[in-house]
Amino acid sequence: MRRSAYLFLAVCYVVVPLAFGGNNYLMGLVVSSLIVAGVAVAWALLGNLGGMVSFGHAAFFGVGAYASALLSMKLGVPVLLAIPLAGLIAVLFSVAMLPALRLSGPYFALAILAYAQIFRILATEMEFLTHGSGGISQIPVLPTIAGFDLSSRTGQFLLLLTLLAAFLATYDLIRRSHYGIALRAMHDSEDATRVVGVNSVLLKSWMLFVSAFMTGVIGAVNAHVINFLEPDYAFSGGWSVLPIVAAIFGGYRTVTGPAIGAVVIYLVDQLVFKALVSTGHQIILGSVLALMILFAPDGLLPLLRNALRRMRGGSHA
Amino acid sequence: MLELDHVTVRFGGLTAVQDVSLRMGSDQVVGLVGPNGAGKTTLFNVISGLVRPASGSRVLFDGRDITRLPLHRRARLGLGRSFQIPQPMHELTVRENLIVAQRFGAGRVDPQKIDRILELMELGEQAERDAANGLALQELKRLEVAKALATEPKLLLLDEVLAGLETLAKRAFMAKLRELHETLGLGILIIEHDIETISSLCHRVAVLDFGQLIADGTPGEVFSNPDVIRSYTGAESAETQHA
Repeated sequence: MRRSAYLFLAVCYVVVPLAFGGNNYLMGLVVSSLIVAGVAVAWALLGNLGGMVSFGHAAFFGVGAYASALLSMKLGVPVLLAIPLAGLIAVLFSVAMLPALRLSGPYFALAILAYAQIFRILATEMEFLTHGSGGISQIPVLPTIAGFDLSSRTGQFLLLLTLLAAFLATYDLIRRSHYGIALRAMHDSEDATRVVGVNSVLLKSWMLFVSAFMTGVIGAVNAHVINFLEPDYAFSGGWSVLPIVAAIFGGYRTVTGPAIGAVVIYLVDQLVFKALVSTGHQIILGSVLALMILFAPDGLLPLLRNALRRMRGGSHA
Repeated sequence: MLELDHVTVRFGGLTAVQDVSLRMGSDQVVGLVGPNGAGKTTLFNVISGLVRPASGSRVLFDGRDITRLPLHRRARLGLGRSFQIPQPMHELTVRENLIVAQRFGAGRVDPQKIDRILELMELGEQAERDAANGLALQELKRLEVAKALATEPKLLLLDEVLAGLETLAKRAFMAKLRELHETLGLGILIIEHDIETISSLCHRVAVLDFGQLIADGTPGEVFSNPDVIRSYTGAESAETQHA
C-alpha cells in the first residue's frame, strides 16, 4: 500500500468527523459504506491473492453478526471482545468450506454460494438460538471507551475506519510477503508452483480464513450498529454481491481499490442515483458498472492513477 | 536414491506405464528414452507426484516410500523437476520465480544463492523480466532448471530441456548439466530424444516402449540392443538384418 493511502486514511480520521459529524444521516451513510468496504477488501483478498471468486461472503458476514450478537446477549461477553471472537467463529465455519478449495473457477463460486444458503437456512431453522425468522432485537450497542461513545455515528465511523486500515495493512503485508508472491504465481500456474514446494491448498486455506475473519468481524460490528438481526438480512445475497461490485468498480487487483470502490459506489448510489430515481436506482448503478467493465476493466483506482500520470506527463511537457 | 517398484499407470482403459521398475543413485545421470507416447513424461509425473500410479506401484526416494506423498512434500524432500513445455510462474519476474522456489522448496531465502543460480543459468540479465512474457525459449528452458535448482534438490528430473535448442546452445546446456552433476553431486534423470546427446551425457539409459521398460544399461549396451533399435528408430539392427 502506498504512503499516500496511509496519509489519506489519516486525513479521513480528522476531516470526515469534522465535516459531516453534525449530520447523522450522512455519517450513517458513510458508516454503511465502510461496512461494505470492509467486506469488499476481504472478498478481494480471497479473489486476488487466493484466486477464488466467492459468491458466498454473506455466509461469513451473517455468522459473524449472529455470533457477536449471541455472545454478547446470551453469554454477556463484552462487545469489543465479542467482535473478534465472532471473526474467529466465522473462520471456524469457513472450515466447512475447505473441501470446496479443491474446486476452481465457477465450481468454487457455486459451491460457496450453496454454503451461504445453507447457513441462512440454518439461522432460520435454529429458532432456539437465533429466534428464527423473527430475528434478534436489542443487540447491545457499541460501548463507550474512555469517555468516547463508540455507538455514536462518529464513534462507529472511527472504529470501522480503524478496522479498514488494519485490513488494508494486513492485505498489503500478505501481498508483499513470499506467501503473497506464491499466491500470485498460483493463479495461472498451480502445478508449476506446487512442483517447487508450494502447498497450494494450505495457502488458499489461509486466505479463506483471513477473508472469513475480516468479513465476520465486519458482520459483527454491523450487528452492534443496527442492533437487530434476522436471517434474510444477515445472510442476504447483497452482502455477497455488493462487495464484488465495489471491488470490481474500484479495481480488485489493487489493495485499496475495493475499499475506495465501495465508498464511492455506495455514497454515489445513495446520494445521487437515489435522488434521481427513488425506486430502482440500482439500475443506474448496474449501468455504470457495465460501462466500467467495458471501458476501464482494471477499475477506478488504476483509471485515476493513469489519468494522474498523464496529467503529470502533460505538465512536464 | 530413486527406486520405482512395479509402477503402473492407467488412464481409464489405457495403460500408459506398465510394471516399470527402475533404480538410480545420486552419482548417476540416467537418460530416459523412447518413442513419443512411450510413457516417459507420465513416469516423471508419477515420480514428482502429478499422477497417482495404480495400486501395487511404489515410488521410493532416499529409502522412503513417497508414492502417496503430495507434490509439494516431494519437492521439499529434494525432487526437482522441469516441464517439457516450460511452465514459468505467471505474474512473476525471473528472480521472483526463484525466490518462490527457494522459499518453499528449500525452506529459506538466500539472495546470494539466487544470484549464483541466475549467473550459472545465464539468466542474470533477465532477472527482473516478466518470466511468462519476457523470455525466449532457450531462456525459459534455463529458467525451468534454475527453478528446480533453487529448491536445492538431490535429484533433477529434466523433461526434454534440450529439445528445440540449436547445436551450440545444446552443447552449452549439456556442459552445464555435467557441471551441476559433478560440482553439486546432483543425480539427474533426463528425458531426451537425441541419441548422441544421451550417449555423451548419461551413465545409464532406460528405454520405454508402449509403457514398458524394454532396456536398461550403459548407452553402448542399450543402443546396440535389437529391441531398442526396432522400437526407438523403427529400423532393424544390422545383426537382425543379417540373421
